[in-house]
Amino acid sequence: MISLFWENLRISLGSIFGNKSRSILTALGIVIGVLSVTLMGTLISGLDRTFEKSMSFLSRDVLIISRMDWFGGDMDWWELRNRPRIKEDYVEQLREKSQFVAAVAPMAERGGSIIRGDKRIDTRFFGTTPEYMATNESADVKTGRYFTDGENRSGVRVMVIGGDVADALFPDEDPIDEYVKIGSHKFRVVGVLKKQGKFMGMFSLDNQAVLPFGTFQRLFSRRGWMNVRVKVNTDNYDEAKEEIYGVMRQIRGLKPMEKDDFAINQSATMEAQYKAIKLAIGGTGLFITALSLIVGGIGIMNIMFVSVKERTKEIGVRKALGATQSMILGQFLMEAVLICLIAGLVGMGLAGGLSLLINQFFPSSMPVGLAIGSIIISVVIGIVSGLVPSYQAARLDPIDALRYE
Amino acid sequence: MADLISLRGIKRHYDVGGEVVRALDGVDLIINHNEYISIMGPSGSGKSTMMNMIGCLDSPTEGVYEFEGELVHEMDDNQLASIRNRKIGFVFQTFNLLPKATALRNVEVPLIYANISKSERVKKAEKALLAVGLSDRMHHKPNELSGGQRQRVAIARALVNDPSILLADEPTGNLDSKSGVEIMKILDSLHDDGNTIILVTHEEYIAEHADRTINLFDGKIKEDRQTKKRKRVVA
Ligand SMILES: Nc1ncnc2c1ncn2[C@@H]1O[C@H](COP(=O)(O)OP(=O)(O)O)[C@@H](O)[C@H]1O
Ligand SMILES: [Mg+2]
Repeated sequence: MISLFWENLRISLGSIFGNKSRSILTALGIVIGVLSVTLMGTLISGLDRTFEKSMSFLSRDVLIISRMDWFGGDMDWWELRNRPRIKEDYVEQLREKSQFVAAVAPMAERGGSIIRGDKRIDTRFFGTTPEYMATNESADVKTGRYFTDGENRSGVRVMVIGGDVADALFPDEDPIDEYVKIGSHKFRVVGVLKKQGKFMGMFSLDNQAVLPFGTFQRLFSRRGWMNVRVKVNTDNYDEAKEEIYGVMRQIRGLKPMEKDDFAINQSATMEAQYKAIKLAIGGTGLFITALSLIVGGIGIMNIMFVSVKERTKEIGVRKALGATQSMILGQFLMEAVLICLIAGLVGMGLAGGLSLLINQFFPSSMPVGLAIGSIIISVVIGIVSGLVPSYQAARLDPIDALRYE
Repeated sequence: MADLISLRGIKRHYDVGGEVVRALDGVDLIINHNEYISIMGPSGSGKSTMMNMIGCLDSPTEGVYEFEGELVHEMDDNQLASIRNRKIGFVFQTFNLLPKATALRNVEVPLIYANISKSERVKKAEKALLAVGLSDRMHHKPNELSGGQRQRVAIARALVNDPSILLADEPTGNLDSKSGVEIMKILDSLHDDGNTIILVTHEEYIAEHADRTINLFDGKIKEDRQTKKRKRVVA
């Protein structure tokens, strides 16, 4: 049957390229469909990878104790507003009372500008203890060093800056031991952090600066945002979280019936939120783009009916010469699949090109699985939309077909 | 030798808008190897229907059809396709070549369905085209050939798979008389080479080429006679 395969391939190519403009118009539906589906998939996978990368600052074993839930919940605004602030001494209390604490560090944050000569960068900075490094696996010093316990206690004005901050303020010099200013306060840069990459500009140390906790408290408002970052020493995150809830309630002196007046956030919260968003965007997007593929498939089916009709006489001749039903079926199915395959490859090529272009603004590159998947989808659409017309061709009565004018 | 073809009580009825059209209405016929038969009769008398029946393109409403001892009237679609492919060569009035394919590729088509390899196909197709005197037109497409040449390609295509019988339904009907004579010369010499041939025609002078003439009328055989042997021109 090899020779029949080549013959069918040849007939199909002849038919496709013999009706160029018709084939192009028909294929366009599939091209657009595959283009939008693969592009959509590419963007989602780009989103995924950036998300994962930027989530690395918040590994699964890290809990962040804050005043508020990251993702609201259905709490009353007044109640949230009246929640007490997170205090510095929780750090030591947690270390004492919880059996699951591997490392714990306070984080007092605020926004502001860091200035170096005529350069400035609007950013965020936070004060924390050296132990912070133990709570954040992804934070790593690239050049220089982190500040010490001694510096922390005595409140010296030193600073470790993120990669983007270093790039902005020190485009062509080594920042180490140079001075920068926040407001009127002068700091010596002692270290630069390795770049982490960011997720839509959020949650990355790249554009932040880290100060010793004591220094931060002394120089800046004690009323800023404060979180406590806990790294747990177990794989059983739920158990650890449960226990730390209890410890926090105890620290806060809450009675059994009283509601929590603090929140424990973790990467899972973020992931769940992200997944919901992704599902909504991706699901809707894929649904809409899949519709365009279906429309494309209907176009193929339509043109295959036309092709069968036009070639009724040829089908009669082929049957008279000994073609069986399945041979005729194969011939037309091949044609439908071939159009879709070519269209799919074109669509994929365009999607690949476009994703390179988009990559300039937003991380995206087509995953191999998606490329293979879109080719398979094209073939499947060819088969599905070609089946009924091909079957019709195969079932033609040879004499009726021969008589057809 | 056993009969090549045996038709017994063959009927082919069509239901057209509640009315029964009896295209064949009880045909008994035996055809032997190397016969040369012409079928005549007025338009609508069932000539084409009989050719299609013999050519296994159509199945009888009633009756028994034996082809080389096999019961054709009991065969399914695939078996019919296979017997058409291996045992039967068709020549049509309107040539029915594939317009986009060269003469050579047209002749190859039955061999493709017989699953014969490319090199063997080309060899056989070239031989068949040589036999009809078209060696110099193998790579021409039908629209680059005259009517007579097209019909010769069709004959080559019918012969390429060494069929047991050659069926030609008004093979000269679309040709001028000179081309018609050429086609008949080819059919005569094919018969001389041992082929079995049945042809349908309106023309007495074409029918005279055959050894036996069957007259159809209203789906029945009205006359079946052995005509005088053709005068053979010996070169
Ligand atoms: N598919 C068909 N449906 C209905 N009637 C048909 C069909 N094919 C042939 N006939 C009828 O059968 C009769 C014989 O037709 P045909 O064999 O083509 O005649 P001939 O070839 O002798 O002119 C005619 O009356 C024709 O109208
Ligand atoms: Mg006829």
